[in-house]
Amino acid sequence: MIVAEDQKTVLVADDDRDLVTALSIRLRAAGYKVVGAYDGEETYNQAIKHTPDLIILDVRMPSGGGFFAIDQIKHSLKLRDIPVIFLTAFDDEDMKEQAKELGAEGYFRKPFNDEEFMGVIKQVLGE
Amino acid sequence: MKLKRIAYFGDDRDAIEDLRETLEKINLQLKDFSPTRAGSLEAVGFNPDLILWDLDNAEVDGGNPPIEMIRESGFENQPILGVAKREDAEKIVKSLASGATDFIYKPVIGNPLPRLVAAMSASQRDKRVNWSNRALDTMNEQVRTILSSLKDPAYIVDPEFNILYMNRAAIEIYGEGIEDGTCYHMFYGRSQPCDVCLKSKGTARWRSILKNGKAYRFMSTVIVNSKGEFEKVAMSTDITPDEEVMKIYKTFISNVSHDLRTPLAAIDQYANIMLEGLAGDLNEDQKKYIEVVKRSSFRLGNLVENLIDANNILSGHFKLKLRVSKIPDILDIVLERLNSQAQEKGLRLQVQIPGDLPSVYVDTQRIAQVIANLAGNSIKFTEEGIVQIRAGYMPRGDGRVIVSVEDSGIGIPSDDLSRVFDMFYRVESDQVFLEEGAGLGLTISREIIRAHGGTLWAESLEGMGSAFHFALPAHKGDKNS
Repeated sequence: MIVAEDQKTVLVADDDRDLVTALSIRLRAAGYKVVGAYDGEETYNQAIKHTPDLIILDVRMPSGGGFFAIDQIKHSLKLRDIPVIFLTAFDDEDMKEQAKELGAEGYFRKPFNDEEFMGVIKQVLGE
Repeated sequence: MKLKRIAYFGDDRDAIEDLRETLEKINLQLKDFSPTRAGSLEAVGFNPDLILWDLDNAEVDGGNPPIEMIRESGFENQPILGVAKREDAEKIVKSLASGATDFIYKPVIGNPLPRLVAAMSASQRDKRVNWSNRALDTMNEQVRTILSSLKDPAYIVDPEFNILYMNRAAIEIYGEGIEDGTCYHMFYGRSQPCDVCLKSKGTARWRSILKNGKAYRFMSTVIVNSKGEFEKVAMSTDITPDEEVMKIYKTFISNVSHDLRTPLAAIDQYANIMLEGLAGDLNEDQKKYIEVVKRSSFRLGNLVENLIDANNILSGHFKLKLRVSKIPDILDIVLERLNSQAQEKGLRLQVQIPGDLPSVYVDTQRIAQVIANLAGNSIKFTEEGIVQIRAGYMPRGDGRVIVSVEDSGIGIPSDDLSRVFDMFYRVESDQVFLEEGAGLGLTISREIIRAHGGTLWAESLEGMGSAFHFALPAHKGDKNS
């Protein structure tokens, strides 16, 4: 794979390591650099460390979970402009609303349609 | 007065022979008569000292109370005793309230003579009548006392359903001033008595949401007052789910569905990665096997979503996002998918919707789900021919929009037709078992349509095809409604 200099980084945060690996394969194949995180606290730390272009966030994770993480991210001067897309198995209108209020750019429910998901990622990254 | 002759009004031959045998042993003569006016006139010639009245024949000659009929035939002073089976307590109470002196059981238990002789005494008879009236009054008073202590609504109505009594809990909801009304109007907002009460002769059970927004399970039973009038007593239990219980329930469903969807997402992702060659090239067999994994995961996913959906819908935990919509716009949501399903089977999918069809006030996604489900079934069970989606307007009443999905498929056997909407029900045929499905789609569809105030029904000819129709209220203010 040819790695472009302006290669964009996507942080995938999910406590299901198998899913993080699967998404990494897919995103790397699409030309992105991928970093993983497996709980809320690690998500914030990885975001500070790598300053990704996009964060894909699960809702239910240990150490704070996705809502805690997005709250930290959106309150950080360094990270607040990074778009966040939720990817969760919760199909709950209140959660969708909450995610939107906290500044999320999208909300996908697992299992998800790959094509649609990758389309939104490209759109959010302005590609 | 000496007891010699006893007239028996009734047609229970076993009871008659049993009593005759018992009474002959103590030198009493029993003669049976038909429980009709002709029978009672015939009994005049027999000149009985005492009359037995079989309570199983309590309503004859068009419903005249036999006790009045017997008295009118000239038996003004003879004691009248009811004859009843042991389990017929209600009949016994009614007969005492209508003026019977006493009662005996059939078949006879022990020696009935003391009871018959006691009934012969006028003073004893009066005493018994008074006793039974007093007992009924006391009993009715006790019923009211019990009802007053209940924390949930209870009331008593007369045979015309006029409210005679309401307990404190009912008054707290409806106020004091409504006691002149009928129960069906005041409690249930209806213009006619409810079917459940009209159809039940004894105990009735129903559920209702009252004016305070709470759900109650009601039970009613019949009591008799001292005037022999029937009163209906209705008591309720609050079955509104506790807020805390609701919260736990929602969390439980949410967590279970989350934990079922999470591994499905991983299975789906890895199957796609393999099929797209992101993990290296696959040979044809490997591709075929991964396709099976993907299809199975898709089916499992559908089943999980249907189960969650059915659970939410059947337990009332779903909210409709209602808005004024046009049927063609709703159809657009699912038409592409249905067209591709039909094409895969070589079927024609036809849509006929008149341009001037009134709008409906519905949750578009939910109605689209119903159409997708009905048309999906039609495509699934049709091997050749056509699947049609049609819509029309029925102006009767407030106006209804009818959507029909018809096919030229295998049809549904008539025995199964009434059960196709039952949860998990699947018609037992080889063709049906070849197709996937858990038997939830039609149940969900019916509940969605019901939640919109509509109706879903089916008709079918086995081997010829099926038609599923649903009717929704037309949106008020639209030109035709």
